[in-house]
Amino acid sequence: MTPRESGSEGAAPLRPLGGSGAPGAPVRSEGSGNRRTFGFSNRTVAVALAVFALGYLVLAFQVPEYTAVNVPVQPGTLPRWLGAVLLVLAVLLFFQRTPDATDDEAAPEDEAADGGTAPRDGSDGDGPGAEDGGPAATGKGAASAPGCATGTGALGRLRDPRLEVALFVAALIVYVALFEPLGFILSTALYLGSTTVYLGYRRHVATAAVAVGVPLVLYLAMSEGLGVVLPSGPLPF
Amino acid sequence: MLDQLVQGFAVAVTPQNLLFVLIGVLAGTVIGILPGLGPMSAIALMIPIAYGMDPTSAIIMLAGVYYGAIFGGSTSSILLNAPGVAGTVATSFDGYPMARQGKAGKALAIAALSSFTGGTIGVVGLMMIAPSLASFAVSFGPTEYFALMVLGLTAVVSLAGRDLVKGLVSAVVGVMVALVGIDSQTAITRFTFDLPELFEGVEFLIVALGVFALAEVLVMLNRRGRGGARGGVTSLRLSGRELARITPPTLRSGVLGFFTGVLPGAGATVASFLSYSTEKRIAKDGATFGRGNPKGVAAPESANNAAAVGSFVPLMTLGVPGSGTTAILLGALLVLGVQPGPLMLTDNPDMFWGLVASMYIGSAVLLVLNLPLIPVFAKVLKTPKAVLIPLVVVFCVVGVYGLSFSVFDLGLLTAFGVVGFLMRQNDFPAAPMILGLILGGLMEKSMRQALQISGGDWSVFVTEPISAALVALAVLSMVPSLVRAVRERVAGRSAAGVAAASAGRGAEEDSDRAESLRS
Repeated sequence: MTPRESGSEGAAPLRPLGGSGAPGAPVRSEGSGNRRTFGFSNRTVAVALAVFALGYLVLAFQVPEYTAVNVPVQPGTLPRWLGAVLLVLAVLLFFQRTPDATDDEAAPEDEAADGGTAPRDGSDGDGPGAEDGGPAATGKGAASAPGCATGTGALGRLRDPRLEVALFVAALIVYVALFEPLGFILSTALYLGSTTVYLGYRRHVATAAVAVGVPLVLYLAMSEGLGVVLPSGPLPF
Repeated sequence: MLDQLVQGFAVAVTPQNLLFVLIGVLAGTVIGILPGLGPMSAIALMIPIAYGMDPTSAIIMLAGVYYGAIFGGSTSSILLNAPGVAGTVATSFDGYPMARQGKAGKALAIAALSSFTGGTIGVVGLMMIAPSLASFAVSFGPTEYFALMVLGLTAVVSLAGRDLVKGLVSAVVGVMVALVGIDSQTAITRFTFDLPELFEGVEFLIVALGVFALAEVLVMLNRRGRGGARGGVTSLRLSGRELARITPPTLRSGVLGFFTGVLPGAGATVASFLSYSTEKRIAKDGATFGRGNPKGVAAPESANNAAAVGSFVPLMTLGVPGSGTTAILLGALLVLGVQPGPLMLTDNPDMFWGLVASMYIGSAVLLVLNLPLIPVFAKVLKTPKAVLIPLVVVFCVVGVYGLSFSVFDLGLLTAFGVVGFLMRQNDFPAAPMILGLILGGLMEKSMRQALQISGGDWSVFVTEPISAALVALAVLSMVPSLVRAVRERVAGRSAAGVAAASAGRGAEEDSDRAESLRS
């Protein structure tokens, strides 16, 4: 199960930031369009799972038998069953209808909440525009009288949210790679600072305070309070 | 029983444990308030802190995190219409309209009061049921345990999402991950690819933080941190008449919620929806549910807290978690060297009764401390996501590294984060995976023991009466989702193109939807 960049089969149309997505689609699929990135059709998922299950089965049959004592369950027994079950499930999934975006239920929490009130409260002014970060804050703020926007606009800077996720994962990998060479404090400060700024938080003094303060406090808390020594890197403490 | 409870209070009321209850409830509330981060993420994030602690204090704190997170979720449900926790989605139905009518304070006060009531009902139930269930379960052998764990898995699968196949895939993969490493019985390495880092197996915390906390962050990012707005917190005061009005639904929902929580698989989410729809049905003013009826806040809040306590019953008495959240708790306990189970009440009564007592205290803390602090907590909602997201990542990294001191594990964390994200985007529920991961090793062990006793005869699982009954229940537990799947297939054909979310099916759909995000 590796991340697959080229997922055009079941994936929603790309949604450029600030754009309105596919105009013909009903409003709810508009909402789901954004999060359907990296969503694949059941068939694609099933094929990937089947490949995984086959690979797993090959490995499972290579698990050596235990012969020192007669045991009813060999170390390979359960893995072989699991691989077979996964293969069967993959086949079942292959023939299962892919739910279309309109009646799809895997809504993230605020989607679910919108859905929850929508049938009862039709005037929930949560139209297409609400997906696009900035307008969402104001749009919703207008809906609830004493509301105030939560601040940030859309996260990130790229037009394609899929690239955004890939970039974020890449940043995480860099952070992990630098974790021991640079030490916890330096790598974390670097990661926090750059990510926060990149994601669009504009109060740079606050960013700097968080980026420096949090690693220091965590480092002290872990080493003094819990006796966990984090890598110090080039720093002397 | 009463003197044992007194003993429990003696355990819980030490300044140290009292402090941990406080920390747990507060941290749970804060994390639970953050949209997207639910009890599972909250507990997973707090486990690294618990590792160095005395096991009793650790479970007391983690339990506090659990119900704190549920309470925190109700705060963001009411103020933001963005439940941080699936168990409080039902609360938003009436809580958010109340907030929009300028009654946010009242709604929060109702939520706190009914949470407290529900939690108390749950604790009383736990005290009454747990000892007898434990004494019954003492007779369980490996055969029964295997069947029980199968039941736990299938129940969670069938309730965790409406897609049975995807739930099962998730559970199977969880068990597969559990088998990585050196086999404890035969010392043969399995699926390690000769990497020494994998010989010890995959630490469950890595998977838990990856597929919950980290995946959640990626989902937020992918949705570009869609913002919300919040209403100001208004007066928290309730009139006597309002109190009288919400009392009966609160009590009923507490009892209903507790029993739902005890059942394997059904957790706070199911309980809250069940009680919401029940109250809506029996209330004279049922039509106003969804437009800011206080009863619609009280019922699910009471139920989800009672259920959270109820879900401790199978965990503490059988050693088998009935939900994803308690599975994470079990994982934490096992690492701390505690094996919950029927013998825990006799072998380790301090821990059990200390936990019970700490639940009373936790509920009280929620009421007296959290209520006045709500305006402060509400500020947490203002944390910009651009700041929040990197911070959550750092907490995950520190948690994993502090446990294993291994950069390899950080890589695994990243990988599981990506896997968890892909699972979320493709409607694979994550809870069965965690449950499979934690139960996988135990299942194989009890399967081996059972077959050793039976001399390799596989039929023991269906010929021993208790085991047979449990297996039958496990099969039955999958029937509702099968029926639902078939029905929807039919409905999907006939009503293709029509907007599916018709008002008539509203409540049921909401519950389905919430199931799928039980994370």
